[in-house]
Amino acid sequence: MTRTGYLPRKLLFALVTLGIVITFNFVLFRVLPGDPVKMLFRNPRLTQEAQERIRVQFGLDKPMFLDTEALLNGDLGAAFDSQFTAYLRNLAQGNLGVSFANRQDVGELLRERVWRTVLLVFSGELLAIFLGMAVGLLAAWKRGTRIDAAALILGLLAWALPTFFLGIILLLLARGVLPAGGMVTPGYAQPGTLAYWLDVAKHLILPATTLAIVNASGYMLIMRSSTVEILAEDYILTAKAKGLSNLRILRDHALKNAMLPMVTLIALTLGYTVGGAIQVETVFSWPGIGRLVYDSVAKQDYPVLQGAFLLLAVSVILANLLADILYSALDPRVRLG
Amino acid sequence: MRFHTRIFSILFCLSMLLVGVAVAQDEPTTLRIGTTYMIDTLNPANGFYGYAIRPLWYDTLVTWAGGDNFEPSLAESWSVSDDGLTWTFKIRDGVRFSDGSRLTAEDVAWNIRWLIENEVPSMIGYLNNVEDAQAIDETTLEITVSEPVPDMISAKLLYVWMLPPSVWQDLNGDDIVELDDPIATVGSGPYILTDYQEGEYLIMEANEDYWRGAPPVDQIIYQEYATEDALVQALLAGDIDVVISVPGSGAQALIDSEVVEVVTGNDVILEELIINSSPEGTQPASLNDPVVRLAIAHAIDKQGIANVGYLGYAEPATTVLPTAMGAFHNSEIEDIPYDLDAANRVLDEAGYVDSDGDGVREYSDGTPLEYRLYAPDSDAYYARILEIISQDLADIGISTLPTVMSDDSLLALQVDYDNDLIYWGWNFDPDPGFALNVFTCAETVDGGWSDSGYCNEEYDALYQAQSTATDPDERREIIWRMQELLFEDKPYIPVVYPLSISAYRSDRVKFSPEFATQPLYWALYNGFSFVDS
Repeated sequence: MTRTGYLPRKLLFALVTLGIVITFNFVLFRVLPGDPVKMLFRNPRLTQEAQERIRVQFGLDKPMFLDTEALLNGDLGAAFDSQFTAYLRNLAQGNLGVSFANRQDVGELLRERVWRTVLLVFSGELLAIFLGMAVGLLAAWKRGTRIDAAALILGLLAWALPTFFLGIILLLLARGVLPAGGMVTPGYAQPGTLAYWLDVAKHLILPATTLAIVNASGYMLIMRSSTVEILAEDYILTAKAKGLSNLRILRDHALKNAMLPMVTLIALTLGYTVGGAIQVETVFSWPGIGRLVYDSVAKQDYPVLQGAFLLLAVSVILANLLADILYSALDPRVRLG
Repeated sequence: MRFHTRIFSILFCLSMLLVGVAVAQDEPTTLRIGTTYMIDTLNPANGFYGYAIRPLWYDTLVTWAGGDNFEPSLAESWSVSDDGLTWTFKIRDGVRFSDGSRLTAEDVAWNIRWLIENEVPSMIGYLNNVEDAQAIDETTLEITVSEPVPDMISAKLLYVWMLPPSVWQDLNGDDIVELDDPIATVGSGPYILTDYQEGEYLIMEANEDYWRGAPPVDQIIYQEYATEDALVQALLAGDIDVVISVPGSGAQALIDSEVVEVVTGNDVILEELIINSSPEGTQPASLNDPVVRLAIAHAIDKQGIANVGYLGYAEPATTVLPTAMGAFHNSEIEDIPYDLDAANRVLDEAGYVDSDGDGVREYSDGTPLEYRLYAPDSDAYYARILEIISQDLADIGISTLPTVMSDDSLLALQVDYDNDLIYWGWNFDPDPGFALNVFTCAETVDGGWSDSGYCNEEYDALYQAQSTATDPDERREIIWRMQELLFEDKPYIPVVYPLSISAYRSDRVKFSPEFATQPLYWALYNGFSFVDS
């Protein structure tokens, strides 16, 4: 198969996946037990009439997929006037709906928060990648020594540590030195000023470090094993025979080839970590997508959850696509197979 | 490498500059309040949370001062006609909204008429029986009711925020509830909202011209934390000055700190074990037997639950109305003691025996005394409490399956009365009206407030009687009788009245000892001060 055949195929798969995700997204939140109106308003200050009105306003009085009674009566317009068709119609217009909880536009809510999650995830990932690669390389080079053993044990330990647990431990350790939560100190600086960004950076340290420690171990293990493999190759022996320094062998000969599996892993992890930040964002009160999802699950805020999950699904699909493309560019064998 | 060094040195110089600037500025006094949930929406017409925050923005005619104390606010005084149908209020003169416009009796009358006409969701619930409101002159207001009411001051007017007609009068229907803009927070209260970031923080500045006098704090900052752990850490670290409503589990860490003062108080909170009493419920027939209910009541270790589940920050409950409701709490009800022997004896005498020797007694129809025992997973302590209850019930030959589940799942089972025993709680209003309403037959319909399915005509008649009993002693007597009925029928086994806990940095601020049970608005004007450092 040629390259022109490979990409359209991958694109088609991505689109089909997206379609399934959109439908699944809708169904998933509605088969859960419970009634969002009752969840929202379990409060003495709402009459039954008012509850009913809210139900109508949000279209929750309509059937989920199909009004079978209207269908039998031959009234097609009414038959398809369901929550699902309204959802698809809105989605096609780029309208993600309105939050049940506070009536804000879901698209806007997500737009406002997505860059914060991206900031957190990218700083954490960047740190994780550098840390993971450096330790992985070192461990591979010193294979069989105490350094290797220590790196492996610590790596596995960090890999097994629940994110929220590590987060709480760091929170306790850094009390008084770094802020316990949030993204900024309220009222401290005007957004956009340098003081503001320094404040954000201060708040970023703990959550990004937590994310980095947990993810670095994955990179470390992959980096180590692929470097170990490369280091056994004949051309490394040749390089050594040429009298090259250790650093140059690692940097110029081993690293590039060992990076191949890393590229895929990085692309895939980036896709997933947009959602994977839920725990870190919750422990450190970081106002991103993850925390929005956490809060919305508790409030059964369907439109927000649908929007957020769609965003997460799209980012995973895009990351997969990116990995496929990168891989085909980096490794000619993929294009041919 | 060189590149990095340069960036860092630039950043370092700039941050030093900033530190210099910050020190030079004259800082206003700020109170930082930490919370796990600030507010659902800025719109008071559609907001169902933020009952601590909104009184800082809007005036009400009367204000809740904690416990069963209600103080004059925008209304300086009031009187009621002999037939109980006309209430006359003297409205404070010279009050202004933060946009500069005046607030007169005419505006108050407009507010009440407006929210009845538009059925404003967050406020309409209490205004049953209120027919009309008219201004006689700029400082006199008349409210007419269809029947005499006992809760005009203690409930009806408590949540009627005075909003400026200039903002709201041109909106109708959906526009009223859709308004989500800081303009919705314009009022005549002691603070003015200046910055709001949903899920992050909220900043408000003092209204220097407030009629009660300029508030004692120039700036209030609410900061939201996603978890209780972070909240406690933030207070210990000094990131925040106050936490209102500390979870019992976090209190110990705070008490051990020398810079944090923890205050507690009785509150209108009840945590109870519900025994499904719905005629349409799926509970086994044996659970409807008063003997079984009595035995279960004997087997609830209320003090043990208060100690383990709430770390001691709760008092054993006797009746559905908490002690914080003052005279309305029936103090003559003598509780069924925790006594497993008595529970066993009661069941033995009624013929509940374990005939097949599996440790579980059987009902006369042969079914074992086996019940589902549920609690929400919203608080970690619920699981421990279920365990205590389950173990004690096992000792009297009643088998339970303790299960914690998400709020939604539990609510779904509760609404359909598809359950046997549920442990959870209520945060009631200071007036007993709402708490008592929960047990009326009318609330057992779909969408109603009843969580036990209890329905008793005698009780309903008493409920009607108390809702129009304007003589406080007469109302109290009826309400005491209602509590006796509930105590006998046991739709609930009241377990504990959890204490309300607040904590603040005693090296920075000082609050009155009653702070834990006072609304912040009242606490700021009564016993608050900054500590000179």
